[in-house]
Amino acid sequence: MLNVAFWIFTFLMVFFAVMVIAHRNPVSNALSLVMAFLCLAALFFTLDAGFIGIIQILVYAGAVMVLFLFIIMLLDLKTERGRRINSSLFFGGLLMSGAMAYLVAAVVLRSKISERPLPPLAVAKIDDVREVGMALFTAHNLPFQVIGVLLLAATVGVVLLSRKEIR
Amino acid sequence: MFNALYLELFVVLLGVLMLLAESFIGRHTNRVYIALGGAVGLLVVLFLTSVSGVPPEAASWPAWNFYSPDPQAKIFKQIALAITILVLLMASDFIPVLTKFLPAEHPNAGIGEFFALPVFICAGLMWMASAVHFLMIFVAIELVTITFYILVAYQRRNLLSLEAGVKYLILGALSTGILVYGITWIYGVTGSFHLETIALRLPDVAEGDGKALLFGFGLVLIGILFKVGAAPFHIWIPDVYQGAAAPVTALLSVGSKAAGVIVLLRVLECGFASPMLRAELATALQWFAALTLLVGNLAALPQSNAKRLLAYSSIAHAGFVLMAVASVFGSELTGPAIAFYLGAYLLMTALAFHVLTLVTASTGSDEISAFNGLSSRSPFLAFAMTVALLSLAGVPLTVGFFGKLLVFIPAIQAGMLPLVIIGALGVAAGLYYYLKILRAMFWLLPEEGSHIKIGKVSIAVLSVLATLILGLGVLPLPLMGLVGYY
Repeated sequence: MLNVAFWIFTFLMVFFAVMVIAHRNPVSNALSLVMAFLCLAALFFTLDAGFIGIIQILVYAGAVMVLFLFIIMLLDLKTERGRRINSSLFFGGLLMSGAMAYLVAAVVLRSKISERPLPPLAVAKIDDVREVGMALFTAHNLPFQVIGVLLLAATVGVVLLSRKEIR
Repeated sequence: MFNALYLELFVVLLGVLMLLAESFIGRHTNRVYIALGGAVGLLVVLFLTSVSGVPPEAASWPAWNFYSPDPQAKIFKQIALAITILVLLMASDFIPVLTKFLPAEHPNAGIGEFFALPVFICAGLMWMASAVHFLMIFVAIELVTITFYILVAYQRRNLLSLEAGVKYLILGALSTGILVYGITWIYGVTGSFHLETIALRLPDVAEGDGKALLFGFGLVLIGILFKVGAAPFHIWIPDVYQGAAAPVTALLSVGSKAAGVIVLLRVLECGFASPMLRAELATALQWFAALTLLVGNLAALPQSNAKRLLAYSSIAHAGFVLMAVASVFGSELTGPAIAFYLGAYLLMTALAFHVLTLVTASTGSDEISAFNGLSSRSPFLAFAMTVALLSLAGVPLTVGFFGKLLVFIPAIQAGMLPLVIIGALGVAAGLYYYLKILRAMFWLLPEEGSHIKIGKVSIAVLSVLATLILGLGVLPLPLMGLVGYY
C-alpha cells in the first residue's frame, strides 16, 4: 500500500517540478513548487519519516513559499510572460539536461542497490522528534553549531544588503 | 596542549566581538581599529594553531568524528588565518572606495561589518581544512560560500559588484546542488558520510555499484573544482573577481582555493581506496589540470583590467596546483608541494592585491591603465608590485619560482609528461601577461600625476611581504620545513 503511494507521489512530484519551469506565469511557478514540496513531504511520510515530512510542510511549503509568493506579487513580474525563449539557449539547455538524464538513467539501471536487502529500521526507544533532537545535540553537534554561525553571517548580510540606508 | 576544536570557536567569537564593537564606539571613531583588533586576534589564533591538538580528556568527544586536527589541516588553517589577517589590513586601505559605493546614513556605516564578515569566512575555511565527514564538509563550504555572496555584492551602488553577486549566487547554488547530489549517491552506495568509513567500505561496494560510485565521486569532484576555480567550471571567476572589492577578491582567490584543495585531497584520498575509482579519478584530474592550465594562461593574455587579469592568473595557478593533485598517487612529495605552492601563492597574491587596493583607492580605477607611470607616482608601490608579479610569473630568486619547481617534481615523478609540457608552456605565457602591468608601471606615462600616499601599517605589510617573497626565493628552507618537507 505504502509502496504504491510512494510511486504515485514520486510521479506527482516530478510532474510539478517540471511545471515549475514550464509555466510562464510566476505565480503558477511558485504554486507548482508548493505542490512539489507537498509531494516530497508525502514521500517522507511513506518512508516512515513523519517528523521530517511535517517539517518539510511547515518550513518549505509554508514559510518559505509564502515569502516567495509575497515577493512575486509585490514585484509584479509581467516581463517574464512576454519574453521570448532564445532557441540556441533552449536547445543547449535541453542537450545538457538530456545528457544528465541519460547519465542518471544509465547509473540507476546498472546499479544493484535496489537488489540489496535493506537493513531493517532500528526500533526506536524514544519518539521521532526526540530522536532528531538527540542526533542534533549529541552526535552531530559540531555541524549543527556551524550552521548557527552560517545563519548569523547570513542574517548580517540580509540586513546589509536590504536596508535602504545602512546605519 | 590546546584543544583544536576551540580554534574556530575563538575565531567566531572574535567575529562576533567585531560586529558588536560598532555599537560601543562612537559614530565618528575611526573604524580601522576594528580591523587592526581583528588582525591581532587572528594572529593569536595563528599562534595557538601550531600548539593545538587533541587533549586526552577531550578525546572521547563525538566532534572528532567530523573534525581532524592532523598536521595537514594545521598548515591549511594557518594559510586561512594568514590571508584573513592580510585581507583585514588590506580592507582598512579600501575604506575610501567602499564608502563611495555604500548607501550609508553616515560615512562610517557598514564598515565594521565589512571587517567582521571575512573573520566568519576564516572560521569556515578552518572548518573546511579539518572536515573529514561529508556533513561537515558541506556546512563548512556553505558557511564560506554564503558569506562570500554577501561580501561580493557588498558595494551596492556599484553595478559590477551587484552583477558579480548575482552571478556568484546562481552559479554557486548550482555547484552546491551538484555537490550534494554527489554526496547522496556516495551515501546511498556506502551508507556513510564519514570519509574513513567510506574508504573502508569502498572495495566491497565497488564491484557491483562501481558506476554509481564513480557518478557520486565525479559529481563531488565537480562541486569542489567549482570552488577551486578549475576549468571548465571557471566561468564565474573573471566576472566575480572583477566585481568584488579587491580585498574580498584576494580572500576569495587564496582562502577559498586553498580550503577547496584540502577538501579535494581528502575526498580523493577516500576515493582512491578503490583501485577502479583511483584510475578513473586520476585520469579525470589530469584532463582538468591540463584544461585549467590552458584556459587560465591563454585567456589572461588579452585582458586589460588588472583584476580580471589576476582572476585568469588565479585560474592558471589553480591549474598548477591541480597538476600536483593529479600526481597524488605517483609521488610522495605531492602534499608538501601543494602546501608550499599555496603558501607562496598567498604571499604574492596578498602583495599584488594590496598594491591594487592602494592604486584603486587613489585613482578610482582597477584597469591596467591605472598603473601607468606608477614608478614615478610611488616608486615603493611599483617595486612591491614588481616583486609580486615576478613571483607570480615564477621568475628565479622569488618564492614563486620554487613553488612552480616543487609542483613540477611530483608531476614528473608520476610520469605525466604531456601535462608537464602544458605546464611549462603556461609558465612561458604567464611571463608575457604579467609583463603588461610591468610595462604600464615603468614605460608608460601617468594619466594623472598625483603622488600616492600610503599609511604606515600598509608600508610595513608591503615591506614584510616583499621581503618574504625575495628572502624565501633565495632560501626556501624555512617555508619547506613549515609545510612538512622534513
